[in-house]
Amino acid sequence: MFTMVKPRTFGYFFQSAGSSLVRNSWMTLASIGTVAVALLVLGVFMLLAVNVGAMAAQVEEQVELTAYLADLNNQQRAQLEAELKAIPGVALVTFVSREEAWQRLLEWYGDDRGFLAGWEDDNPLREAFALRADSAFRVGEIAAAVARLRGVEEVIHGREIVEQLLAITRAVRLVGIGLMAGLALASTFIIANTIRITVFARRREISIMRYVGATAWFVRWPFIIEGLVLGLIGAVVASSVLAWGYYFAVRSLAAAIPFWPFVAPWPLLQRLALALLALGALIGVVGSGMSVRRYLDV
Amino acid sequence: MLEFRKVTKAYPNGPIALNDVTLSVSQGEFVFVVGQSGAGKTTLTKLLLREEKPTQGQIILNGRDITKMRAGEIPYLRRSIGVVFQDFRLMPNWTVEENVAFAMVVVEASPRLIHRRVAKVLELVGLARKAKQLPGKLSGGEQQRVALARAIANQPAFVIADEPTGNLDPETAWGIVKLLLEINAAGTTMLMVTHAKQIVDSLRKRVVALEGGCVVRDEERGVYHG
Repeated sequence: MFTMVKPRTFGYFFQSAGSSLVRNSWMTLASIGTVAVALLVLGVFMLLAVNVGAMAAQVEEQVELTAYLADLNNQQRAQLEAELKAIPGVALVTFVSREEAWQRLLEWYGDDRGFLAGWEDDNPLREAFALRADSAFRVGEIAAAVARLRGVEEVIHGREIVEQLLAITRAVRLVGIGLMAGLALASTFIIANTIRITVFARRREISIMRYVGATAWFVRWPFIIEGLVLGLIGAVVASSVLAWGYYFAVRSLAAAIPFWPFVAPWPLLQRLALALLALGALIGVVGSGMSVRRYLDV
Repeated sequence: MLEFRKVTKAYPNGPIALNDVTLSVSQGEFVFVVGQSGAGKTTLTKLLLREEKPTQGQIILNGRDITKMRAGEIPYLRRSIGVVFQDFRLMPNWTVEENVAFAMVVVEASPRLIHRRVAKVLELVGLARKAKQLPGKLSGGEQQRVALARAIANQPAFVIADEPTGNLDPETAWGIVKLLLEINAAGTTMLMVTHAKQIVDSLRKRVVALEGGCVVRDEERGVYHG
């Protein structure tokens, strides 16, 4: 039924909605602001979740384990190496001497190695075997097998970190969705209230429309469009702030936390903006729909 | 073209507004509906516009029982009926032209047709030169002419004028009545609900008198009091 309106009539609808938005400028601003804040919160949490998730994914891809050794003589070490190679799923076993470990550490810190000066004569690092699993899925089971071997003091692998990161991602998502649900509800009601006020302000016009034979949808459309516009503008505001904030945050954080795999702004922000626009539109339409149903007796 | 068949309208916990009313109006007729306040005149109008449904009975307009119309059909019913009220019901912040055009915008007429028709009906009611003015700048009689122009913009076959002269001085009232007669003479069926004894008595048109919700008198060439 509601599609039975001629396309050119939408010109009238938009004009009508526009004049309402301008006339109730304070309510318009309040509605846009609430929608924007709700979507902004959602957006921030989505970006956090995506980036923590990216870190988890990166760690998860690392199939390396490190088995730190107790003090062993050459024979014990050779025996252990053979035992390690015998574990199913282990693809490569490399011995890392204390000196090599030290070199790696120096490389890792690159230009910031200054604080390591003075330690080189008293190398605090342990000997280790670096192991590579043939698949990320077997890392956990390999680690367990390695830990049982005599001469192995400690096994470090990415699995635990991955699990912690995934837990954080889940928590961030949950909190984000929870906050979002509350804020979305609030903004829906704010929009509903704005539309209610508009309906009231235009009751005279609406009654005339009914006498001259306007269809129910003809009367409703301008209000639905008004809600839609409020939701969309709120989403545009939220997306803009997020885009600007994300560029800025990634630029300054990338220097501070060089190892974190920040997700590139593009196309992430584009997708986020589309999601926020869709949600903003939904909030706007549902909000105005509530008032149109309740207060527009057509 | 219009028929009330044994129509009764009772409001919950209230008086019976219309009681077993049977009435028939032919195409092109001019009918006065008279009666005291509370006699059921307003209810008659509301039933015709399907603002309300009768408790019992049928109302046939152009061969269709409007009491059985679905909600989606009501707008189309109203497009076939022009209405004028005592209080004009114009949008104060729209020009005369915009007020009249609105009735056509709502039914999605083409802009060209709207332009042409609005000019024509404003000419007919004698307000072509005030098209760009706001209703507040006009006299009561002129405002009612705007409302009348709006009522006939979509060329309805049937016009209901609900106390159209109630807020006007006698001389201005006559101007409006003359317009209604002209529109009627062009073939539009006219139902005028009124208190204006003088007008009813001098025109000697058909008079339907309501009292306590009943039709107490229905006379060709009638007068206000029987």
